[in-house]
Amino acid sequence: MYGKKVKLRAFFILLIFLSAILTIFLVIKALEENVVYFKSPSEIKNLTELGDKKIRVGGMVKKSSIKTNDSVINFIITDFKNELLVSFEGSVPNLFEEGKGVVAEGFLKDRSYLKAVKILAKHDENYMPPEVNEALKDNKK
Amino acid sequence: MNKNIKFIIIILFSLFVFFVFYKGLEKPKNYLPEKNLNKIETSLVFKNLNDQKEILLGDLITNNSFSIINIWASWCLPCRDEHAYLLKLRNINKIDIIGINYKDKKSNAIEFLSDLGNPYHEVLVDLDGTKSIELGAIGVPETYLINNKILVKKYIGPLDDAKFKEIINLIKNEKN
Amino acid sequence: MINQIGNFSLFIALFASIFLIFQSSNVIRNKSKNLDGKIFSALSVQSLMVLISFFSLIYAFIVSDFSNETVYNNSHTTKPLFYKISGSWGNHEGSLLLWLLVLNIFLFIFFISSKKLLNKYRILTVLFQELIIIGFLLFIIFTSNPFLHLFPIPKEGTGLNPILQDPALAIHPPILYLGYVGTSIIFSSALAALVYGMVNKIWAKHIKKWIVISWIFLTIGILLGSIWAYYELGWGGFWFWDPVENVSLMPWFCLTALFHTIIVLEKRNIYQSWTIILSIATFSLSMGGTFLVRSGILNSIHTFANDPSRGIFILCFLLVLVLLAISIFFIFQKKLLKNFTKTFLVSKETAIIVNNWFMMFFLSVVLIGTVYPIFLEVINGSKISIGPPFYQKLIVPFLIPFLLFMAVGPKIKWIKDNLSKINYNQFILFILSIAISYLLVKLYGISYLLILPLFGLGFFLFFLTIKDFFSKNSTLSQKISHFGFSLFILSILFNGTLAKEFSSNMKVGDERKFLNKIIKFENIKIIEKNNYKSLVANFKISDEKSSISLNPEVRIYNQPRTLTSEAAINSTIYSDNFLVFNVIKDDGYYNVRYQFKPLMMWIWFSIILISAGGILSYLKKNE
Repeated sequence: MYGKKVKLRAFFILLIFLSAILTIFLVIKALEENVVYFKSPSEIKNLTELGDKKIRVGGMVKKSSIKTNDSVINFIITDFKNELLVSFEGSVPNLFEEGKGVVAEGFLKDRSYLKAVKILAKHDENYMPPEVNEALKDNKK
Repeated sequence: MNKNIKFIIIILFSLFVFFVFYKGLEKPKNYLPEKNLNKIETSLVFKNLNDQKEILLGDLITNNSFSIINIWASWCLPCRDEHAYLLKLRNINKIDIIGINYKDKKSNAIEFLSDLGNPYHEVLVDLDGTKSIELGAIGVPETYLINNKILVKKYIGPLDDAKFKEIINLIKNEKN
Repeated sequence: MINQIGNFSLFIALFASIFLIFQSSNVIRNKSKNLDGKIFSALSVQSLMVLISFFSLIYAFIVSDFSNETVYNNSHTTKPLFYKISGSWGNHEGSLLLWLLVLNIFLFIFFISSKKLLNKYRILTVLFQELIIIGFLLFIIFTSNPFLHLFPIPKEGTGLNPILQDPALAIHPPILYLGYVGTSIIFSSALAALVYGMVNKIWAKHIKKWIVISWIFLTIGILLGSIWAYYELGWGGFWFWDPVENVSLMPWFCLTALFHTIIVLEKRNIYQSWTIILSIATFSLSMGGTFLVRSGILNSIHTFANDPSRGIFILCFLLVLVLLAISIFFIFQKKLLKNFTKTFLVSKETAIIVNNWFMMFFLSVVLIGTVYPIFLEVINGSKISIGPPFYQKLIVPFLIPFLLFMAVGPKIKWIKDNLSKINYNQFILFILSIAISYLLVKLYGISYLLILPLFGLGFFLFFLTIKDFFSKNSTLSQKISHFGFSLFILSILFNGTLAKEFSSNMKVGDERKFLNKIIKFENIKIIEKNNYKSLVANFKISDEKSSISLNPEVRIYNQPRTLTSEAAINSTIYSDNFLVFNVIKDDGYYNVRYQFKPLMMWIWFSIILISAGGILSYLKKNE
């Protein structure tokens, strides 16, 4: 009975249709949960509510702000207007340096303190991550 | 009929994707700074390129007149492009230009200037790049137009015709 | 001088391209007869010119001719010769020239190796391919010319990013490009075959070679990229779901689906439209990937030069090709046979459709994850990023049914089969696999919901593929690839669930306890090398039984000033010990990261096995 052209075709099309819907549904759901928004220290200052979602903050590592001890690295991210204290336990990339661009990913504890879970920097030394560049730009205005 | 609708939908969809990517590209990657009345960090001490004498940046910027700070390096390609504009500013418009040589080798820097001409009133050295950062630089080249110790305008990236004309106009307007 | 030669050859190649487009469209419109000879010579000239141009660039790199802007930007006299050469395609301009070269060579090979097929089909393929080539030529000459002259001539170049000085990365782009460009031949030929209504068994057999070739190169290219990320980036992982990495994975999913579908077309003469759609999609994804990477529209940890005008060019070019392909598809679709009648639900044909279904699902996930941030930023201006959890959440659960199908699917016969003949051996193996994984989960105390079925099915597939080596059902190449895949899944599962990581800030002499191990920072010394300064640390990792000593490095390069970390990796067939350190500030503290990664070698080895299956299938003639 499966040999019938029409039936099998209809069955296939139905399957494709259903799986497409399922895919879209799952993707949207996963997106909602896993999207990480990018903010600058100034945007964080103006947040109305902190939220408990992971965020990324970009800016410069402030000069002589890095303080290290056995397990924690503390530093300040600045966009030349506002500052944000970051504390981080874990390993940092090569280009993590004072006066360089940085992106920290983590959870906001309050408007001036971020508990980071990941620090990102980019390969190239004269390169500024586009997000950082833009975050800085928004503030120079 | 059915086929045509499919065709149109797919075409429209590709055009939509194209449009979004196009818009995505349009997002300016270089930014145009707005007028910014920031004080310039005058307390920085630099070494001179030729004789390594220490100089206070504030002493080089004269009161009641225009000066320009240009951050450059011999390894920076756009710096070559903008060099002609700096020479014009110096020779035709008689503006003092303070050059900050960013993360460069002394020999390369001197060679660069002897090859292309020296537009600078004074060349200062920033060997590790930290002082430029304190001035607010995020890369090379950058040019700051200063009047009366106040930053009038900041240009990130090489100078070009438009920026050059703007500098000239800014200076003219102020004088009138 | 060498600049002019390179530049001039590009222009000759451009003229050859115009000539070829003109001649081939004449043949197609029946205006002139057989022009095989003319087209052959024009193709030879074109390939030769591009080759000359490419070698001029390499030569300029070797002699450090800084009057060439590309060389000035990307090379340095103190660079080792090998990296001077690889530097010629490690940058934007050079890499496009390499693309072009491969395009030409592949087309040339296609032309001389397809003589048995319908002449018009060959000429039309040449025409489509020349459209792509001319697009690239214009792009190179007008927006990314690698032979720009620089005056006055600088004395020294500005260096190639030292992080790019790695053997795996030196050969990674060319290999990946071979894969990408191979898909362009599939694209052109699929469209030509569609126009002449020859999407059939013969065409399938002929184009399969190209599919296999592209697939092998793409697989190896991705492998090399991962190896580079693991050994050079110092993050202790091999896949980060970074957009630039995803971009190479997308055509791979599509091509893998095509690889399976073309077998059905070859054997049963069905799924014709689907094959054509996949051919178009694979190439569009390869080109789209180039666009995303080269235009700088993506925010990636891997950076490339970005210039919006270049992006706009590739984007428009891509749009033209896609619109052309879609229009041709809809106009000539009626020429495709629709003999769906012969398909039965339980058959190899359906099993391959299921495989395709999974490939398309994985592809959609990766595609959406990669481009969604771009769309969102354009539409409402918010800047977001999508991290690994997104991909893991969507892909990992679907591996369970995927593995099950992969275990059962290849055993199903062509045309019609029934499922009632599941034999006891398979059932016993299944029970055994579940039992083994249950013990493993208990033994290592892994607490993750899906891990039991994943391990279970991983082992099930593993046993079945081993058992297959003793049966005559399938081809040897398929056995090897599928066995490689089961090994890959198992290695990744072990690697992902049993990896341990420790990071801390340590001073010289410090000791840290981690699990049952003691990590001791013994000493650090400075070594001067000719183009960098190196800080070499010595760490000792010891447990009750043994101790190993690891010497990670931090290199400080001068041109341009860059710090890189060279991880110290101690590899055995069981596990890797990975240690990397970093200078934070001059206060005596070093940031140290230690990782224990089980079965790392097996991940590389299994991917090599997967590609080896492909290579074997290419070498075997009548399969």
